[in-house]
Amino acid sequence: MIKTTDLGKTVNTSEGQLTILKGIDLEINKSESVAIVGVSGSGKTTLLSLLAGLDTPTRGEIYLGGYELTALDEEQRARVRGELVGFVFQTFQLLGSLTAIENVMLPAELKGDRDAASRAKELLGRVGLEQRLHHYPRQLSGGEQQRVAIARAFASSADVLFADEPTGNLDNATGSRIIDLIFDLNREFGTTLVLVTHDKRLADRCDRSIQMSSGMLGTRDNEVVTG
Amino acid sequence: MNLRLALKLLWRDWRSGELTLLLASLVIAVGTVTTITLFVDRLQQALINESSTFLAADRVISSRSPLDADILEKAETLGLEQAQTLSFLSMVFSDDRAQMASVKAVDPRYPLRGDLIIADEPFVRGNVVNRGPPPGRLWLESRLMPSLDVVRGDMLEIGVASFEVGKALIKEPDRGGGFNSVGPRVMMNLADVDKTEVIQPGSRITWRYLFAGDTTQLDTFQAWAEPRLPEDTRMFGVKEGTEGIGDALDRAERFLLLGGLLGVVLAGVAIALAAQRYSVRHYDHVAILKTLGATPNGINTIYLVIFLVLGTIATLLGSGIGYVAQSVIVQILDPYIPVALPNPGVTPVWLGLVTGFVCLFAFALPPLLKLRATQPVRVIRRDFEDESITDRFTYVFAVAGTLGLMWWYSQDWYLTLLIFSGGLVALVVLSLVAWGLLRSGRVLGMQAGSAWRLALAGMQRRGQENTLQILVFSLAIMLLLMLFLIRTALIEDWRAQIPENAPNHFAINISPRDTDAIRDLLEANNVQSQPLYPMIRGRITTVNGEPVAQWVKDHREPEVTRDTPRASSGRNLTWSATLPGDNEIIAGEWWPEDYDGNVLVSLERDLARGNNLSTGDELVFNIQGRELKARVANVRTVSWDSMRPNFYIIFSPGALDEFPSTYMTSFHLADDNKLFLNELLREFPTMTVIEVDAIIEQIQQIIQHVTMAIELVLVLIVIAGGLVLLASIQASMDERFKQHAILRTLGASRKLIMGSLIIEFAALGFFAGVLATLGAEVAVYGLETEIFDLQYHVNPQLWLLGPVIGTLLIGTIGTLATRRVVNSPPTTILREL
Repeated sequence: MIKTTDLGKTVNTSEGQLTILKGIDLEINKSESVAIVGVSGSGKTTLLSLLAGLDTPTRGEIYLGGYELTALDEEQRARVRGELVGFVFQTFQLLGSLTAIENVMLPAELKGDRDAASRAKELLGRVGLEQRLHHYPRQLSGGEQQRVAIARAFASSADVLFADEPTGNLDNATGSRIIDLIFDLNREFGTTLVLVTHDKRLADRCDRSIQMSSGMLGTRDNEVVTG
Repeated sequence: MNLRLALKLLWRDWRSGELTLLLASLVIAVGTVTTITLFVDRLQQALINESSTFLAADRVISSRSPLDADILEKAETLGLEQAQTLSFLSMVFSDDRAQMASVKAVDPRYPLRGDLIIADEPFVRGNVVNRGPPPGRLWLESRLMPSLDVVRGDMLEIGVASFEVGKALIKEPDRGGGFNSVGPRVMMNLADVDKTEVIQPGSRITWRYLFAGDTTQLDTFQAWAEPRLPEDTRMFGVKEGTEGIGDALDRAERFLLLGGLLGVVLAGVAIALAAQRYSVRHYDHVAILKTLGATPNGINTIYLVIFLVLGTIATLLGSGIGYVAQSVIVQILDPYIPVALPNPGVTPVWLGLVTGFVCLFAFALPPLLKLRATQPVRVIRRDFEDESITDRFTYVFAVAGTLGLMWWYSQDWYLTLLIFSGGLVALVVLSLVAWGLLRSGRVLGMQAGSAWRLALAGMQRRGQENTLQILVFSLAIMLLLMLFLIRTALIEDWRAQIPENAPNHFAINISPRDTDAIRDLLEANNVQSQPLYPMIRGRITTVNGEPVAQWVKDHREPEVTRDTPRASSGRNLTWSATLPGDNEIIAGEWWPEDYDGNVLVSLERDLARGNNLSTGDELVFNIQGRELKARVANVRTVSWDSMRPNFYIIFSPGALDEFPSTYMTSFHLADDNKLFLNELLREFPTMTVIEVDAIIEQIQQIIQHVTMAIELVLVLIVIAGGLVLLASIQASMDERFKQHAILRTLGASRKLIMGSLIIEFAALGFFAGVLATLGAEVAVYGLETEIFDLQYHVNPQLWLLGPVIGTLLIGTIGTLATRRVVNSPPTTILREL
C-alpha cells in the first residue's frame, strides 16, 4: 500500500541546512496498522506528512496506493489525497465556520458525491454524536471534536488513514475511547492505518511499530519504545 | 462540483460571520466611492450650470458678421436651444440730452441661462424676468436715467426711431466686466433694430449666437462648428469666456477630482486590508481543504467564486447605498447648498460599479490568490507558513489597478503619474522611517510589569506588522491633511482675489475742476474711495531712438502670448507722486514724492518684459499730437483684479501738467447706498460711473459655492479615511486579541491590558501623525506648485495638528475596537481565534 525508497528531507534554517530524514526505506501493507514512535524532533511527523503527500521530500521516492507521489505535482497529489487518504490530527483541524455535519460532509463534497449529508449523518451516529450534528466546533468538547474529525476521516471512504497524535490533546479516558473508535472503524472499513504517537496504549494496539530516531529508522515488531 | 461547494462554503462562511467584515469593507468602500462620485458629478454640473449664467448660455459664437445659416441649422438638428443678440454703439437722445450708449438688441429667447433683473426705478433691487424688452420699449441701465434725465414712460430716440423708456435694467447675466463695455447699456428688442436704420454696411456690430443644451449635444456641436467658423469669429464656453470664473472652476474641478481619486485609493486600501485579514484567517481552512483532497485549482475556483459573488453583492449594495447616501446628503445639506443640483446622471452610477469591481480585482484578489499557495502540511507544522505566502507578483494587480483608476478618474497622465510616483516615494521613505522608529532601543521579553513597557515591547515584537500599520495610518492621515491644506490654500487664494469692500464702482471722465467737489461728496456720504488719477490717452512712438513698430518687431519676446500688452498700442497714461498701494517695484526705484527733475516713467511688468523694455530705456510718447520724452525709472507689478484704478504706464509728478486730462477713481458702495449714484450723476452729469458690483457679487457667490463643494467632498473623504483606519485596526486585531487574552489568563489586570492598548494605539497614532505631516507637506508642495498654481507656504500649525490628530484618532478608534478583549472571558476570545 505504501512504499518509500531512500527517502530524505532537508530544510534550510538560519543556522544552515538541517537534515530531518535520512535514507528511509519503508513498506506498509494493505489493512496493516503501523505506529511511528520516537522522541520529539526525531522526524516522525515529517515522515507522516511525506507519506500522506502533504509535503515533498528532498530525495527518494514514495509510492501510495499505486501512485508514485514523488512524480506528481501538488494538483495531482491533492487528487490522490482526496481519493485515498483520510486524516486525524492532534489539534482536530475542523473548520470553525462549519457545523459538525458540514465538516464531515466536506471530503465527499470535494469529490462531488451527492449523498454527502446522509453518509455524514450516519458516521456521526457511528461516533455517537447524532445529537450534535449542528453544533459548531467551538461548542464541542475536545473529545467530541476529535470524534467529528474521525467521522470526517472515514467519510471519504479512504484506503489509508493517517493520524498525527490523535490522543495528544485529550485526557486518558477520552483518549481511550478515541483509540477504540479508531480501531473499530479501521477494522470495519478495512483501512490501512498509519499513526504518529507518544501514547503507548495506542502503539500497542498496532500491528507494528516503527521507531524513529534522529531522522532514521529502526523497526522492532511488537516492541515499543516511546519517547 | 467546485462551484456548488464554493457557494456552500460562501454561505457557511457568511453564516458564521467570517465574511461580515470583508463584505462591510467592500460595501462601504464602493458606497463611499459612489457617493463621492455622484455628489461630485452633481456639484460639478451645478457649478457649471450656474457659471453659464455669466454667458447667458452654455456656448457662445461671437462674430462681426451674421453667421451662416447651416451652422444654426446644425444646432437646431442637434436639439440645442438658441438665442441671438446684436450689440453696437449708438447715440441715444432724450428731449434735451444725448449720450453714447452700448445698445444690445435681444430676441425673445434671450437669456438661455441666468436671469435679467429690471425695476421701475434706477439703482434699486428689482425683479427677475426671463426675457428682454417687448418691441417698442427700451430698458436703460440705471445710470443712463439720471444722465439723460428721463424716467419711465419718457421717449428716447435711437437713429430714426423713437422708443418708450420701459424699465431700469439692473442686471444682465452676460454683461461682462472691464472697460470693453464702457458705454451704458440700452437693451431693445431685436425686431426693432431695422427701423432705427443705424446699422449700415461697415458699422461695428457684434452678433452673439447663444446655445444651451446638454454636454454631449454641446460638444458635438462645438466639434462640428468650430472648424467651419470664419476667422474673426470666436466660439467659447464659460471657462474660456470668463477668465476669473474659469480659473476658479478649473481648480475646483481638479480638487474634486483629486478628492475622488484619494477616496478611491483609501477605499482600495480598506478593501486590501479586509481581504488580507480574511485570507490570513483562511490559510488553515485551505490547508485542511487541501489535506481532504482539494487541488490548488479547486481552491482558486472556490475562492474566485466566493470573491465574485461577494464582489457582485457588495458592488450592487454599495452602489445602491451610495446612491441613497448622496441623495440623503443632498437632502440634509439642501438648505446650505445655495445651488440647485441637477438630477444625478447614470454615468456616475456606472462609474461606481466599475470602480467597485476594479477595486476588488486590484486590492482584494491578490491576498485571496495567495490562498492557493497554502501548503497542506501547515495542518501539522506551522513553521511553513511564511515561505508560501510571499508572492510579489500579486502586487502587480494593486499597482495596475491604482494607476488605471487614477487615470480613468483624471484622464490626465501627468496628474496620475505625479501622484502615483509621489505616493510610491512617500511609501518607501515612510516605511523606512517607521521601521527605524520602532527599532530604536530593543527590549527583551513581554515587559508585563507596567502598561507602558508592555505596550512598547509589544510594538517592537510585532515590528513588521506595526510598520505596515503605521504606514497605513499615516497614509490615511496624510491624504486627509493634504486635502485639508489644499482646500485652505485654494479658498484663501480665492478670497484674496476679491477682498471684502473692494471697490465695486469705477468713475471715469471726471473733469479736473470737479475733482475736489466729487471727493468731498464721496467723503460726505461715507463712501470709501481710491485716489483720483488723471487719465490721458497716449502711445509710445520710439524706444531708444528706434520707431516702436521696429523695436517691437526686433525685440518682442518670441514666447509671449497674444494677451501680452504691446508697446505700440494706445494706453491710458497717468502720473503719481506715490506708488499705488498694491503695486510692487521689481526693478529700479520709485521716485521721491517731491521729485521735480527730468521726466521719468514707470512700466508694468508684462508690458516691460514682453517688449524687452528695461530701466534706463529712453521712450518718446505721443500725447494729444505732442511728443514727450521719458526715461524708464522702474518696473512694477500690478494686481489687476484689485478693482482699483490700475495703469500700465505712470509718469513722474508734473510730467503731464501741460496736457489737459480727465480723472478717474474707484469706490466701494454698499448695497443700501446705491441710490447715492442718482445724486452723484445728477450733480456731475459728464462723469461716467461703471457698476461692477453685480459682477463682483456673482463671482463671490460662485466662489462661495465652489468652496462649499470642496468642503463637502473633504468631509466624505474624511469618512473614507476613517474606514481605512478601522479596517487596518481590525486586520491586526487577532494577534492583539490573542496576546492579551493569554495575558488575561495569566492574571493581568484589566487596567494593565487597557492601559497598554491605549498606549500602544496612541503611540502608533503619534508616529503615524508625524509621518503623515511630513508626507503631506511634501505632497502639498508638489500639488500646489504643479497642479493648482498656488503659492506654497510652510504650515507650522500642521506639525502640531498631524501628531495630535493621529494620537487621538488612532488611540480612540483602536481602544474602542479592541476593548472587547478586557470585557469578555479570555477563553471565549481564544476559542474564536
